[in-house]
Amino acid sequence: MSAMLSYFQQLEAGLQARLAEQRAVGGERAGEEGGEADGSIVARKRFALESARLGVKLYTPGERVAWCGLMVPFDLLNAMGVNSCFVEFVGAMLASSGTVEPILQQAEQGGFATDSCSYHRAVCGAAAQGLMPVPDFLVATSCPCSGGQAVIEHLARLYDKPLFAIHVPQRQDERAVAYLADQYRAMAAFVSEHSGQQLDMARLARAVELTNQARELWVQVNQLAAAVPTPARRRDLVNLGVVISLYMGSETGVSLARCYRDEFARKLAAGQAGSAHEKLRLLWLQNRIQFKTPLELMLEEELGAVVVADELNEITWQPIDPDDPFPGFARRTLSVPLGRGVEQRIAHLRGMARKYGVHGAVNPCHWGCRQGSGARGLLERALKKEGVPVLNLEVDCVDPRQFAPGQLRTRMEAFVEMLQQARAS
Amino acid sequence: MSVRPKIGYACAYTPVALLHAAGFDPHRVLPIGEAPDQAGALLHDNLCPQVKRLLDRAMAGDLPPMAGMVFMNSCDAMRRLADAWRVARPADRLALIDLPTDSGPAARRYLGGELARLAQLLADWGGRAHLGQALLDSARLHDELARALAELDRRADPVTCQQERLRSVSQPFERSLERLGDLLRERAERSVSGVPIFLFGNVLPDPQALELFARCGAHIAGDDLCTGARQLTPLGLDDPSVALDQLAQALLDRPACARTMRCDAPLVLADELRERALACGARGVVAHVMKFCDPYLARLPGVRSALREADLPLLVLEGDGSLRSLGQQRTRLEAFVEMLGT
Repeated sequence: MSAMLSYFQQLEAGLQARLAEQRAVGGERAGEEGGEADGSIVARKRFALESARLGVKLYTPGERVAWCGLMVPFDLLNAMGVNSCFVEFVGAMLASSGTVEPILQQAEQGGFATDSCSYHRAVCGAAAQGLMPVPDFLVATSCPCSGGQAVIEHLARLYDKPLFAIHVPQRQDERAVAYLADQYRAMAAFVSEHSGQQLDMARLARAVELTNQARELWVQVNQLAAAVPTPARRRDLVNLGVVISLYMGSETGVSLARCYRDEFARKLAAGQAGSAHEKLRLLWLQNRIQFKTPLELMLEEELGAVVVADELNEITWQPIDPDDPFPGFARRTLSVPLGRGVEQRIAHLRGMARKYGVHGAVNPCHWGCRQGSGARGLLERALKKEGVPVLNLEVDCVDPRQFAPGQLRTRMEAFVEMLQQARAS
Repeated sequence: MSVRPKIGYACAYTPVALLHAAGFDPHRVLPIGEAPDQAGALLHDNLCPQVKRLLDRAMAGDLPPMAGMVFMNSCDAMRRLADAWRVARPADRLALIDLPTDSGPAARRYLGGELARLAQLLADWGGRAHLGQALLDSARLHDELARALAELDRRADPVTCQQERLRSVSQPFERSLERLGDLLRERAERSVSGVPIFLFGNVLPDPQALELFARCGAHIAGDDLCTGARQLTPLGLDDPSVALDQLAQALLDRPACARTMRCDAPLVLADELRERALACGARGVVAHVMKFCDPYLARLPGVRSALREADLPLLVLEGDGSLRSLGQQRTRLEAFVEMLGT
């Protein structure tokens, strides 16, 4: 555990030092968080820095910690002073740091099937090795997937800690909104009971105002990213939509969004593209591959295909009423297309394809994901009708052991060639 | 007995008494038959084999005439099946009913609302509009059927029991009750032989699959399969004015399958399975789990650990629910039974 804390502390210190170095070289613009006088790039480093800071908070002894499902309203938990995180963050973090393999092996030796989602297997392996901070309580969500919910239940039993479960309905009508809003109210009461922290409605209203500010900025970020050529660099958009939910309701969330917005706006004003190679524009479906691979670099530099939009980055919800936030939290959750029927997800992706002017889409088909990858054929068929060919990659986004770059390279080359021919004709 | 239109369903959580009360005969679509493999064109290969097999049947037209199909939103795979069914058979009437994961008052109210929505859909599909007493009458038949099947379990061999279970989910309640009545009159309590085991998991419909256990020297002393003991469980409705709410509660209170959670007792499934295995005198436990079934796969380590506390060995058989797939694991099953018998 102390090793994890020290890992995150070193990561935080390193990133802070690099950002300070950039500022020293460029000279900081007074009062402008997102911009650097020399136009240097800081947004992604800020994003990484905040992830490291979150890691430090989660692993610092004495901090109040909750492990959660992806659809939990983290602004509510932030307003109640709880350091919270979705469990999949652990799998992604272990994969990106290149340390996931022994953890996965540990989980498999403990009986977790290799056919299950490796995000979740990694969490179970990390918990078995004592690498997860013991939470004060856990909150499971039925969306996006049955596997995630089961893993949180497993952790609740393992740690013998209180568990709250949220059932996210499939429908989006007012009955579903009321049901989900009631569950979020009950969740707040549960958090109060187990954290000793009463819900302060004024504090929650302030958190929701920050959420709305961040939301508006992220809408702008996405609009800017849709420009041709896009100002987004290869890694700028990776994991963004999922992770920023953790900072909703906080000043961090607003300043991070502003940093991105200003950086993209500045680059567009200066005519500075995110990539010098943008010939084809791609939409990335669902998750990115979390461990280091040469694929995105190859796509961009060798094949001239740039990922300009990620499905999970899109803002699909309206501002939330600070004076009556629970229905707004519910509407936000229910608006996420990944958690709904495939028809709604397809409609969302069609809209994104038009907005970002993409020529094709990449679907990594994360092995073990029944919720997202399960619909592979349905998505491919529907987007093809829309004139957006889909490249289905058979990969595991967290487990690098079966990764076959040569095979994937051939498939990507063929896909890009097909897109080029379609464009030419 | 007049012929009523059929409504198809795929999950043991389906409110079959409601379908019956609305004037339809519930018909469970099972992952059986020889329809060609086509599901991969619409769904990923790493999805539950039951779901893929049902879609194969739908795509091949290997289904009886049905007035509609009802899906329960019980897990990711079942949700994807509903999505794919819409594409494969766009002319079919289809309902997807949300199913809460816990059983608290809010969940009951929401599921009650979902059942009211289903009742309205069934009326739109040509069914009876006002259920009230009709739902109680259907629930009574349903409960009689559940009890008769449980009684048959005590009197008949596993193959006969499973054959009758399959009949009971694909023919009118009334006809099943008549037939079971005749069978029960003919039979006294059966004698059993073999090493007692407890069998749990999801879908294992083929009667011959259960016979295989006997051929390996095992006696299934108790089961928790969604095509077995969990298929029909008594509902106990008694008030027509709140019948839908009572039905919702009864569905949520069914014996837990792996997709169900109780926050006050995480992984209660593991404890329940251990207690039931001990109660039926099993010397070991066999899990027959569909490949790629996340709800079970994620909970098996916890189940194993709970069984270990009671010195109950566990054998996990992953497969596609077919006799062929189970047959491939025969040697493992034989070795397990032999180990329990020594």
